[in-house]
Amino acid sequence: MLSLKTIPTAVALAAATLLSAPAALAEDYPSRTVEVIHAYGPGGGTDRFVRAVAQPFEEIAGQSMVPIAIQGGGGMPAYANFLQRRTDGYTMKAISPDQIIAHVLGRQDMGEFQPLARVQYDQGMIVVPADSPFQTIDEFIAHARENPGDLTVGITGAAGFDDTAMGLWNIETGAEVTTVPFGSSEMVSNTLGGQVDAMHEEFGPARGLIESGDMRPLVVFSDERLPVLPDVPTAKELGYDVTLGRWRAFAMPADADPDHVTKMFDLVSQAVASDAYQEVQEQAALQYRSVLLGPDEFAEFIEQEIATYTEVLTALGLVE
Amino acid sequence: MLEAYGSALAYLFGNPSSFLLIIFSVIWGIAFGSVPGLTGIVGVALLIPFTFVFDPTAGLLLLAGVYVGSTFGGSISAILFNTPGSPEAACTALDGYPMAKNGQAGKALGIALASSAIGGIFGTIVLMLLAPPMAQFALNFGPPEYFALAVLGITAISAIGGGSVLKGLVAGLLGLGIATVGLDPITGTERYTFGNLSLLTGISFVPAIIGTFALAEVLQRAGERVSTKDVITDVSTKLPSMKEFLATRITLLRSSVIGSFIGALPGVGATTAAFISYSEAVRWSKHPEKFGTGVAEGIAAPESANNSAVGGSMIPLLALGIPGSATTAVMLGGLTIHGIIPGPLLMETNTQLVYTVFIGMFIANILMLIFGIRMARYFALVLKAPYALVGPAIVVLCMTGVYALNSNIVDVGVMLAMGAFGFLLRKLKYPIASFVIGLVLGPIAERSLRQGLVIADYNYWEFAARPITAILLLGSIASLAYGFYGQWKRHQQDRQSQVAAKHAG
Repeated sequence: MLSLKTIPTAVALAAATLLSAPAALAEDYPSRTVEVIHAYGPGGGTDRFVRAVAQPFEEIAGQSMVPIAIQGGGGMPAYANFLQRRTDGYTMKAISPDQIIAHVLGRQDMGEFQPLARVQYDQGMIVVPADSPFQTIDEFIAHARENPGDLTVGITGAAGFDDTAMGLWNIETGAEVTTVPFGSSEMVSNTLGGQVDAMHEEFGPARGLIESGDMRPLVVFSDERLPVLPDVPTAKELGYDVTLGRWRAFAMPADADPDHVTKMFDLVSQAVASDAYQEVQEQAALQYRSVLLGPDEFAEFIEQEIATYTEVLTALGLVE
Repeated sequence: MLEAYGSALAYLFGNPSSFLLIIFSVIWGIAFGSVPGLTGIVGVALLIPFTFVFDPTAGLLLLAGVYVGSTFGGSISAILFNTPGSPEAACTALDGYPMAKNGQAGKALGIALASSAIGGIFGTIVLMLLAPPMAQFALNFGPPEYFALAVLGITAISAIGGGSVLKGLVAGLLGLGIATVGLDPITGTERYTFGNLSLLTGISFVPAIIGTFALAEVLQRAGERVSTKDVITDVSTKLPSMKEFLATRITLLRSSVIGSFIGALPGVGATTAAFISYSEAVRWSKHPEKFGTGVAEGIAAPESANNSAVGGSMIPLLALGIPGSATTAVMLGGLTIHGIIPGPLLMETNTQLVYTVFIGMFIANILMLIFGIRMARYFALVLKAPYALVGPAIVVLCMTGVYALNSNIVDVGVMLAMGAFGFLLRKLKYPIASFVIGLVLGPIAERSLRQGLVIADYNYWEFAARPITAILLLGSIASLAYGFYGQWKRHQQDRQSQVAAKHAG
């Protein structure tokens, strides 16, 4: 019989057995905190994305998920940190088109990632200020075709996602515009103040200014029109294949245990399906084409993205 | 509008806990501001999850209070240890630390606190009364105007030299040069990285200032035989007397105006505001050569400017939904989570929220005076410890702080290298202020010059011939010319007096 004295010993023994059990056992996984490395500031879009998934994840998995922000340097320090860590299923990376661009530019290697889940998929728009002479995208295109490079479009970041999206626009439409890189808030103020003719921005961050009538979206880069903007045409329906959008996703190290990948995707997809996450996604206006992609579909998607970005970045002269 | 203030007051008094929130947030902010590596941005970001349990108004009150407190907090460690606790306070160290070293730490902290409160209240009043028109006016500032503004600040370098215009310019150019390392802001190509990917981050501002200020100071003190005379003795923080206060009134007013306006410009914030108003304080001073040795205006100018920039940077956030600074960008994320869509309609549809925050910021600035004195006193007690203990502690704090900021080990290397570099600059008597101004304003000047030229299709005339740009650029040239003329005249006078002395002899 267990005496009162032996209970603590038994508990300690049990605990020791649990702790020493190999962490790789799929049924125990995850048994501690999962860290998600990303290269953006605390409170930014990616940080909020990870936190929004982490909240329901904790309830579902019983373990927490925390974002680790390693900023700056075109994402290189974050990438290096991710590669240095052990592959034990507890390190993930939040990835986006920035990784595809870094891959195409030869700075990072997509082969280092095991695609896990693409969660968010946003859509960009060309937005003009209220007093712009362009009422429709046709007028905008007509002017740009007659005066190549005359129209300036504000974008965020140099040689990044926005530049690629507008570069694809130039290639597809022949309505050539000149991009001007800004920080995101300066881009909006320079567009509102008429310093540049238009800007490339997603619906979420621009909706306040669109609803107030201070800005007017001309075209949306998606397969279908946005339900909230039924009068704004897609580039696709005008005959231009420009649907590049910013996406946010999770990846694990390339040599991750397949059982871990399966289990983690299961947990992430449950978290994404939760009301808590869906609410956050709607508040950020990201629900329109954010279809969850699993490891295989996401890997295919990444292949297509690499092909597209290689084509555009080559045309922009950034890759030989 | 009165009605809006009425409902805001009704909210505050209907929820007495909101006063507790403001008190808590100001203390939290001062604490985050004063520790290197924990900036106001981190302070705000950490509190966002906690705002979920409050209503949006209480949540925003909390965040605004942290913002107000953290902007002052940085100056405590800047003055006492030459270690700016946050980038906004870097400029305060230029005169604050020398004053403390002269044995007047309490006075320096008092000036910083009073100037912060006045700047903060000024900025809040501008925010209350002028937010929509200010936001509209700020939209006239495109890249050429940003460029001209940065150039105006940079030209003050020639006046800061502490006697030698040449040394001031050399230090300034070194700052401008070092700021070009990293990714090109327009084309995204690598510059001066020598194929080393870890240099892509560039020489980040915070590691650079912590190195040149704090680490270089510790190195210098380690090399000196510390006499008891050097020990900062007067640590009891006192607000300046009415007479001292009135002596700096013009600096305070000028800096508050500069601060609230620069704060309202998206993309530049409190740090830029502090440096530009410091430059202007030097330019308009009757004794520019004394700056850097611990003059009251040298503390009053940056502190009133960076705190009025807090109110200023809330202007585009609330009036247009565009964050005016990194901290307000985090706040914007917080608002969105609460289902509030920031944009021009915010001030009409959420009047109670907006006006409650106005009043809350006002109260936060007054509370800052009360808690600032107390907290500064506790911090100052550290000075009673021997420097042999404090010095190494500062080095550890610098390294952990710089690492904590971006979790990037390269930044620690940058900090150490800049420490050695700063030590060298001091030994050779090159002014650190010029160097840091180059480092802060250089990237703004470069980026906006090139953005503006892309927009103007490389037509330099079109770039410069905008009214605001032209006035600011002409002002810079005039000030530069005047600086050189003054130098030449002094030189002539010296020579005449020498000649006269010779004749007399």
